[in-house]
Amino acid sequence: MNSISFNGVSVRVAVDTGDAPKTLLHRFSLELTERRIGVIGANGSGKSTFLRLFNGLVAPTEGTVVVHGRSTDSDVRRVRANVGFVFTDPLSQLVMPTGREDVELSLRRSVRNPKERTARAEAVLDRFGLLRVADQSIYELSGGERQLLALAAVLAVNPGVLVLDEPSTLLDLRNRELLRRTISGLDQQVIMSTHDLDLVLDMDRVLVVEDGRMVFDGGAAEAVAHYRALCAGAASELPLERWSR
Amino acid sequence: MRGHGFLLAQYVPGNSLIHRTPLWLKFLVVAACGTASFLIVDWAVSLAVFGVMAGLFLLSGAGFKRLLGSLWMVTPILLAIGLFQWWQLGGPTAARIVLNVLVCVVAASVLTATTPVQELLDGVVSISKPFRRFGADPERFALTIAVMLRSIPFIAGAFADVRDSARARGLERNPRALVLPVFITTVAYARQTGDALAARGLGEADDATLGQRRE
Repeated sequence: MNSISFNGVSVRVAVDTGDAPKTLLHRFSLELTERRIGVIGANGSGKSTFLRLFNGLVAPTEGTVVVHGRSTDSDVRRVRANVGFVFTDPLSQLVMPTGREDVELSLRRSVRNPKERTARAEAVLDRFGLLRVADQSIYELSGGERQLLALAAVLAVNPGVLVLDEPSTLLDLRNRELLRRTISGLDQQVIMSTHDLDLVLDMDRVLVVEDGRMVFDGGAAEAVAHYRALCAGAASELPLERWSR
Repeated sequence: MRGHGFLLAQYVPGNSLIHRTPLWLKFLVVAACGTASFLIVDWAVSLAVFGVMAGLFLLSGAGFKRLLGSLWMVTPILLAIGLFQWWQLGGPTAARIVLNVLVCVVAASVLTATTPVQELLDGVVSISKPFRRFGADPERFALTIAVMLRSIPFIAGAFADVRDSARARGLERNPRALVLPVFITTVAYARQTGDALAARGLGEADDATLGQRRE
């Protein structure tokens, strides 16, 4: 059952000032069955909150999220075992000092035998072309290598779904291209938020998020056109004359 | 963010006698050094134990530079403690206290410099297995050690970055400009690490404690 469904989901958070709760995502329902799904929207529009619903990092205030037949509310552990999540900054995700150790950490619960674990970690690193830097400090790796390593560490346990939160933001053009090719070769169902509109064009379906609302849901080219129109409209309202001198 | 500052020496591959020593014995030596730091009352004995531990570190082939590197990180704190103790309790007591802390740091460095992290974590899991009957998860003990090993260089790196930023703005003498950003960065890092661990299904709590509704 390779479907992810959101039924009447909304997310609200309490605010410190004692005012009414702030709505991060307004009520929406979705059924996602495509293999490649893109999410675009301005900064602060609710993309990350939306992505965090997929593996229960954020719980809906109302409604339910069901990933491949399992609810993120009642079965969160199994959902997380099936949903890999890659963050924008790989350094916030990599726990161990070196790549080899980090991939081995991912495998600790599933592979008990240390030698077998090391062999499996090496195979994963080799698949991503990272074996030559396996024992280097994660701080000595390039941005692209770090992001690929974060991806490798997540994919080591072979999840069914991969969620990527703006994975190309910190990458240069070459590494972005490398990431793009890597993602396109994956078997997993991929959900990715990004500001890279070229990357979005590879997607089967794209959602546009604006002020916590799903304002567009459709094909990649139409979604990008819709988003460009939204941004152009918002930009025209900015008081640019102040800077024109 | 920099991440090179590290209190304990990182693993150095090798085949020295210390590398080949069973993990339980290395754990025992570290535990013994920790216990001895409370029992030793003579600074000369502390100095001798420090000499032995430093000798073991060098015997491992990890090198004098790494030894100095692991001691360098604690020097400012030990200097402050040493001066205060000297003022309060006199020179011999101050020397004993400072040397005992150095013994513990070097002993832990001998362990980390000669043991691959995964082997160390497997050892922690083995040692903590008896606690399973009380509901503890040995893998969580190992994860705690892993996160600790990761966090120390991160916080040291955050301090270096904040110090450089403060210098660039001419605020290097303002303690608030140094301490507050490091504190905020560290809290943010702790939250990010928690999210990352949860997202990877590491250190997962029972289902009942997760997925609390937000509002």
